[in-house]
Amino acid sequence: MQPPRAISDYLDRLTRELSFDAPLARRVRQEVEDHLLEAAAAEPEEEAGEAQLRAIRQFGDPHRIASEYAAQSLFRQTRRVGTVAVLVASGILVSMNVRGAWYGWLQWSISDELKAVRKVGLLIDLYAFIIALAIGILGWAYIGTRRMATSFDPPYRDQVKRCLLLCTVAAAPLIATVVTDTVLTALRLLEAGLRLAALVPVVTMAGEIAFAVALVVQIQKAMKRAALASSLFCS
Amino acid sequence: MLKGHLDMIVLAALSSGPAHGYAIIQEIRRRTGGAFELPEGTIYPALHRLEQVGLLGSEWTTGESGRRRRVYSLTKRGARALADQRAVWQRFRDAIGGLLGERGSAAASRNL
Repeated sequence: MQPPRAISDYLDRLTRELSFDAPLARRVRQEVEDHLLEAAAAEPEEEAGEAQLRAIRQFGDPHRIASEYAAQSLFRQTRRVGTVAVLVASGILVSMNVRGAWYGWLQWSISDELKAVRKVGLLIDLYAFIIALAIGILGWAYIGTRRMATSFDPPYRDQVKRCLLLCTVAAAPLIATVVTDTVLTALRLLEAGLRLAALVPVVTMAGEIAFAVALVVQIQKAMKRAALASSLFCS
Repeated sequence: MLKGHLDMIVLAALSSGPAHGYAIIQEIRRRTGGAFELPEGTIYPALHRLEQVGLLGSEWTTGESGRRRRVYSLTKRGARALADQRAVWQRFRDAIGGLLGERGSAAASRNL
């Protein structure tokens, strides 16, 4: 059943204000619809239209309510990005070690040209990973010590920006690690040709790429949400 | 001032049992004799925030009207947090009571 026009219009406004987080907007809309209908029905002696308008007035400004939700939504999102970054870094480290152990166990030999490329690649890998880990720990500590604000005001917006910036800066060398690993593994497999032993490097590389993509998607999602919330509440 | 105590007010309103948003507001109004007139919409972000930090749990149910509604309840952590906040509030009330020379406050009793 459709809610009355006044309530429906109010819910549309609230949903628009919450457009930075679609699942949250759906949940809030359903809760608020139930609230407004119940509040309007609680005054049976009042004319229906007037009761609805009174319920809406008492509920408050949708912009202000949505601003409080924005703070929560972005807090949750930045924490998620931080967690994903830590998981991705751990996953990449495990993947690299499994592949290295596999090469060692099979005593997988490579040509002298590839050895020279591998030397450079491993240096890039090492330093990129150390940089990513250092920034990641810093970011994790920063995000972990932030408190959830009650509204999406400019100081909180700046805090969210700093969290996302740290995640992005940590993600960049991680992605460099994955790209280097992909090139080194591809060269090794091209040299060795197709064989069953290639399965472990292929699977671990696929895992690394999936981890990197997951991290980029999470950061992108959080940035989009933060930009949308900023445009709605900080203008 | 009320905003600073909103979490405690919501937790206290739920101490008598699970309830949906509108019922929580009615409970606050009933217990305070309508002393707090805050925009009703501010309760919902507080409910969501308390749920996120694990002080409340919630689930969708179907009300008598047939509409789906979210019912909130105190978790064990929420009950503990309420007890802590109640104790802090009690100390604050006693201290201010003593300062204002009210009878029955802890500070006033010590001075007797």
